[in-house]
Amino acid sequence: MPPQPVHKRVHPRGVFSRFKGNIEAITIGVKFFFNPERSTLIYPKEYIKLKDGYRGFIVLIKDKCINCGSCARICPAAAMKLIRLPFTDPKTGRTRMKLWPVINYNRCIFCGYCVDVCPTEALYHVPYHDVVWDTMEEAETDLEKFQKPPEWKTEKEGIPVRYVFDEKKGLVKVRVEGEE
Amino acid sequence: MGALEILWKIISWPPLWQLIVLGLIVPLLVVIYILWFERKTAARVQRRIGPLHVSPKIAGGLQLLADLIRYSFQEIIIPKTVDKAAFISAPLIALILSILPVVGVPFTDKPEWFPIPMDYSLLVVLALVTLSPIFLIVAGWASNNKFSIIGGMREAFMITAYELIIIVSVASAGVAVGSYNIVDIVHAQTGWKLLGLLNPIAFFTAFVGVLLATSGFPFEIPESEHEVVAGAFTEYSGLMYGINMGAAYLKRMVYSIVLSVAFLGGWLPYTPGEGFVSGYLIPSIVIMVKATILMMIFSFLRAVYGRYRLDQALDLAWKIMFPLAAIGFGLSLAEAYLGIF
Amino acid sequence: MSGFVRGSVGYNDLGLPGMWTRRIGKDVYEVFIGPQHPGSGHTRIIIWVDGDIIVDSEIDMGYVHRTMEKLSEGRQWIKAIPLFERMAIHDACNVTLPYVRAVEKLLDVEPPERASYLRVLLCEINRIAAFLYGFGIFGVFLGHSTMYMWPFGDREVWVELAEWLTGARLTHTYPVFGGVRRDVPAGFTDALRKAIRYMRRRLEDYRKIFVDNPVIRSRLEGVGVIPKKIAVELGITGPNLRASGVEYDVRMNHPYEVYDRLDFEIPVFEEGDAYARVLQRVEEIKQSLRILEQVADWLDKHEKTPIMAEKFWKTAPPLYKKVFQEQGRVKLPATFAIMKVPAGKAYERGETARGEISYYVESNGANKPYRVRIHSPSARNAIVFKYILPGHRVMDLPAIYGSIDYFPPEADR
Ligand code: SF4
Ligand code: SF4
Repeated sequence: MPPQPVHKRVHPRGVFSRFKGNIEAITIGVKFFFNPERSTLIYPKEYIKLKDGYRGFIVLIKDKCINCGSCARICPAAAMKLIRLPFTDPKTGRTRMKLWPVINYNRCIFCGYCVDVCPTEALYHVPYHDVVWDTMEEAETDLEKFQKPPEWKTEKEGIPVRYVFDEKKGLVKVRVEGEE
Repeated sequence: MGALEILWKIISWPPLWQLIVLGLIVPLLVVIYILWFERKTAARVQRRIGPLHVSPKIAGGLQLLADLIRYSFQEIIIPKTVDKAAFISAPLIALILSILPVVGVPFTDKPEWFPIPMDYSLLVVLALVTLSPIFLIVAGWASNNKFSIIGGMREAFMITAYELIIIVSVASAGVAVGSYNIVDIVHAQTGWKLLGLLNPIAFFTAFVGVLLATSGFPFEIPESEHEVVAGAFTEYSGLMYGINMGAAYLKRMVYSIVLSVAFLGGWLPYTPGEGFVSGYLIPSIVIMVKATILMMIFSFLRAVYGRYRLDQALDLAWKIMFPLAAIGFGLSLAEAYLGIF
Repeated sequence: MSGFVRGSVGYNDLGLPGMWTRRIGKDVYEVFIGPQHPGSGHTRIIIWVDGDIIVDSEIDMGYVHRTMEKLSEGRQWIKAIPLFERMAIHDACNVTLPYVRAVEKLLDVEPPERASYLRVLLCEINRIAAFLYGFGIFGVFLGHSTMYMWPFGDREVWVELAEWLTGARLTHTYPVFGGVRRDVPAGFTDALRKAIRYMRRRLEDYRKIFVDNPVIRSRLEGVGVIPKKIAVELGITGPNLRASGVEYDVRMNHPYEVYDRLDFEIPVFEEGDAYARVLQRVEEIKQSLRILEQVADWLDKHEKTPIMAEKFWKTAPPLYKKVFQEQGRVKLPATFAIMKVPAGKAYERGETARGEISYYVESNGANKPYRVRIHSPSARNAIVFKYILPGHRVMDLPAIYGSIDYFPPEADR
């Protein structure tokens, strides 16, 4: 059934509505005062263990890459660039110049196009993106750096938590146990 | 006389208590506690944690000290266009005047511990209380900034609204008892004949009047951030801004003290005895605890209400609160006539 | 509007170098609210006040103008999607969907039915999140700090859902030409149903502390009234228009995706004041929850089928199909980066949380758009500040601003 317009009117103010409204407002305030139902994340003492499929930092699996350049071509922020490096084929032993992708995290917007367009799944996301670099240069990767996930300090210092959905409290923070 | 005894004499020397402890240290502690409580309450109602990282063990209790230190190291910017003398002196005078009314409040019934013994202490306190807002307007005017002037003007409007309400409703406590001496008022309330219970209307209007006077929610109009930035304090920075804010809380503390002696029975149910501890320390602590609880209620309202519009606040004050205060006054007269006290 | 003189002659009254003042009408104050004012956002509202009454007002937009239309001409078709998202990142799917649909029109592809449902799913999640965002800002404008924190906290529920679905909290880049990028993960619909029930409870809490709060009611009732006729003449849009009694919602009048197959109401309020606009948004959240419930049922009932248009999916190599089967992730065809779109013109519109957004897309057959014209809802609503503010008090300004839910980055583009 297609959507229908429904005309409504503002409910009028009754004689006691001012009184009732004040009481209701204060009651609910008191209720939350005694039962706060907090869900604050005390970052960085706790950090969210993000779900698989989160579009975080990107890592290259060099062996799978076929140097097609699609990832650089589709990147909307020009964060993925191709660099020309010599490559020695292990089978034939011949050395040729090839184009390899590298990423510049100063520009990346984590849209994930590059991962999705790569024909051989040579790129993948790691599920975090909270890393601080001291200089802009450090946020640029070369081919070596691009093959390793960036160092994730939060993981070493914090407790992993995960939010689960709950009918009464919305999001409930639970500690992730048993991993690592 | 041993050294310890001399030390005890110095510690329990009345002027020291009245000036240093009551005048400076207690207000500072209470204001710090209330600011912390206000932030924590709002955080609880809003499902947050509030200040924590400065001292996680005591739930962020030192946060306010940290803020104070930050304020005191901030640069105090005095714009070129302001009236310098007024700009600098107004907040300081306001600070002094907002704590001054305490001189009229006896914290016990032993006259040697009175700051200034007098027979009309309630009226004197009420008169002194109304002085400090003038300097807020001066501060706004001296700032030569549109937002400051609008903020100052709003404060001026609010004064007209709350002053009469507070005076009428607090004075009705004196009327019921037949004396404007706070000691008599407190004595009359012995045996749970608290004026707050016997004359709830006056207590309620006084409560709302204090909210109006100290820009508590829902009447936080003169400093309303979303129209006038910080009201009269827009041009102030650093410690000067801190002083302005602190003065508002001191004012609220003084009002709470007045309400707790006039309506909540002051040092009752404790009966002051002889000596420093029994005669002064415990009764004053009782009063301060009552005042602090009142202030906590004021703070709690911040989490529940938004703010009224200026004209609506004035409407409420004149059309509802003032007649109510008059009814409360009448009730007091009736009670005095019936001789309840 | 009073006829005082807005002077323009420069005076150096203050004696400060470079600080020129201008004299305006007697007894009139010229107050600049913004762009660095706590109550303005990235825009400037100039008001002239006589006492406490605003006699004239002007809105000065463009502080966050990012030349989006021009930028899009310099990049390939698909790269414009993440760009347009940045108009209103908390409403990302709604804002970009009409663009995607316009390009699909030119390409002559149709998304599969499942993809349409998924688009509606994310659109409604975004809509609720954007309304909650608006409520938060509105609450703090009225000095109600709890109403600031609660909606922002509850918005997290929806942002979390969107993140689970798309992999990013805000800039989802979810709809692409021919479909969407991910299928729903396992267990998603259960979480969605929980979130819906939770939101219904919370709306009751909001009612108690904010909507029915006497202080808030007195602040909003009869304030910023936009009569039906004026609303149409000014061309305002979205919930603001419907709160003035006009039955117009793109989802109803020009249905797109699967909206015409869903059962929901378009609430319309008659009063047209700020309070009606608040209730309008509350009602719309309720309707969005209804839509989400139906989408969740549909998704549970139907098999996992491809969510990319046949045209692109039939040539997909086996690896692509394997990734889709295992992870529910659609791998984009390599041609997307350099895709040429047939020459032509297309016009599409959609209903965002703030109103109707429309895209006019023109292609000359190249791999980049020839022209993209965006007409965004906040730009249409901004005119309210000029014509509705005069006559109100200064303290009504935040109430009207908040109730319009004006969002400068979207208006300035
Ligand atoms: S995630 Fe997006 S912006 Fe980042 S490198 Fe990949 S394509 Fe470029
Ligand atoms: S798209 Fe994949 S295979 Fe092609 S260059 Fe990039 S990483 Fe290598």
